[in-house]
Amino acid sequence: MNRQTITRIWNALNSRFVFAAMLVTAILLVPSKAISQFADPCCAVITTGLNTISGLLRNVVATPLKSIQQIQQQSANFEQQIIWPQNAINQARNFAGQAQGQFRQMNQLYQIPVASATLAAPQRLEHTLLSANPQNVAQVSRDYTGLYGPVMSPQDAPQPVRDLVDMSDAEAQAAMKKAVEIDALADLEMQAADKMNQQLQSAAPGSAPILEAQTGAWLLRANAYTQSAMAELVRVRSVELANSSAQLKFSASHAANLRNATDQMLQRGVK
Amino acid sequence: MKKILHAFRERLLKRCSRVAAGVLCLLLVLAIAPPGAGAGIADIVSILTSIYGTLRGDIGGVLNNIQGVNTNVRDLHQGMVWPVALLNQARGFVGQVTAQYRDPMWQIHSLATSSATLSNPSQLESLMRSRQTGNLGGLEPAFQRLYQPVPVTWDAPAMERNMIDIDDALAVGALKTTVVSDQSGNQMLSLADALEQQASKAAPGSTPLLTAQAQIASLETQAFQQRMLAAELRQEAAKLAHDNALRKRSAETARNLRNQVHDVLSRP
Repeated sequence: MNRQTITRIWNALNSRFVFAAMLVTAILLVPSKAISQFADPCCAVITTGLNTISGLLRNVVATPLKSIQQIQQQSANFEQQIIWPQNAINQARNFAGQAQGQFRQMNQLYQIPVASATLAAPQRLEHTLLSANPQNVAQVSRDYTGLYGPVMSPQDAPQPVRDLVDMSDAEAQAAMKKAVEIDALADLEMQAADKMNQQLQSAAPGSAPILEAQTGAWLLRANAYTQSAMAELVRVRSVELANSSAQLKFSASHAANLRNATDQMLQRGVK
Repeated sequence: MKKILHAFRERLLKRCSRVAAGVLCLLLVLAIAPPGAGAGIADIVSILTSIYGTLRGDIGGVLNNIQGVNTNVRDLHQGMVWPVALLNQARGFVGQVTAQYRDPMWQIHSLATSSATLSNPSQLESLMRSRQTGNLGGLEPAFQRLYQPVPVTWDAPAMERNMIDIDDALAVGALKTTVVSDQSGNQMLSLADALEQQASKAAPGSTPLLTAQAQIASLETQAFQQRMLAAELRQEAAKLAHDNALRKRSAETARNLRNQVHDVLSRP
């Protein structure tokens, strides 16, 4: 027996008890030779008054209440059939499930191995570069030097050339590290997107905007990461461009040195 | 709003019940009271008038107000916020835009861009533009047929062989990534079509779910773009490293030459 039933029974007993009590009180109060006031002319007044009140209740209270009920019923129907039809909501949730399946398929495509190096040193570097593991970022420099060699010694090249080579190595390694980082970030974004998709399948129209806001924040974050990788790409290309320019400068410098040396030799010959 | 109205109605019903109970008690007391009890007609009329006033003014007035508010809210919702005609118009617009643009865009996207004429280049081009990851296995052999494999040990120094190997590996890796990207891009286009289809049947209440779904799809797309960007970064870095390694090799060659010249000159 639930609480509501107990309350209902209690109310019934309670009202009957009150009614019975009033009846007993009336019997006790009524004198044996009492003359009822219903025989009195004021009864007509009371009857008229009560009839008026009854009519009033019907017109002033019941009619507007009925109208209110109708309006509310119309509003409820409108909301249930036009604004939030259960069918359309379920359809959108099911679509979220289908989309999740498709995203997972797409994600699996990116897990297909693409490595193809055959020699030891290139394999090591390639493995690190394609690992999408941020723990491997520190290893990039070692594998890079193992393949491309260190900066030449001071005896082997002039300082400007050594500077250029060092800068180029640094930028190349930075770009490789950024590639590992951005792959790892992409993985995490896909995981987060999968979880959001999962959540969306059980979301309500009222909670979906919260998820939408969160996804918006993630999208913003992803854009910022992409921007960071783009900056790295621009840096690599800038260094390449600077290297081309430096090559021309070195050539000009060599030509000037050669010209000076030739002049000196010719002057010695004249003397 | 509904809750407030419901609470108000409950309170009103209670008040009506109380009035009815009051009237009943009044009737009972009048019925049983002796004529000499002192309750005159004037008092009764006064009480009844008071009840009448309460019903007409306090209760009736408020009920009329509630009715007015309810009507206004209903009209606002149905006429201004979610007019059915405009909802249908928006759905129709989605369908119209889809019909107008989807196919032409797909046709543009599907235009052939291949132009190689010889056998090996044609094969590689066909594979790398196939948009099918099932063809990835054939890509590397086709690449090697066209660009040749890494020279054997006695044909090139180790440094060069290593550089050739990593350059080829990164080039092949990037080409494979483009195939993956093309395929996932097509799937993403299909998903966009399905999303648009859903939008053409959506209700205002189900739209936030679809919008959130579109945001999630955008996030996935961003992650895919980052994959491509990573491949591009690797390629550019390898190119820079390659050019740099050539400088190192030139320095090494110059040193060897200098040593040899020194050896020749220092011989007696």
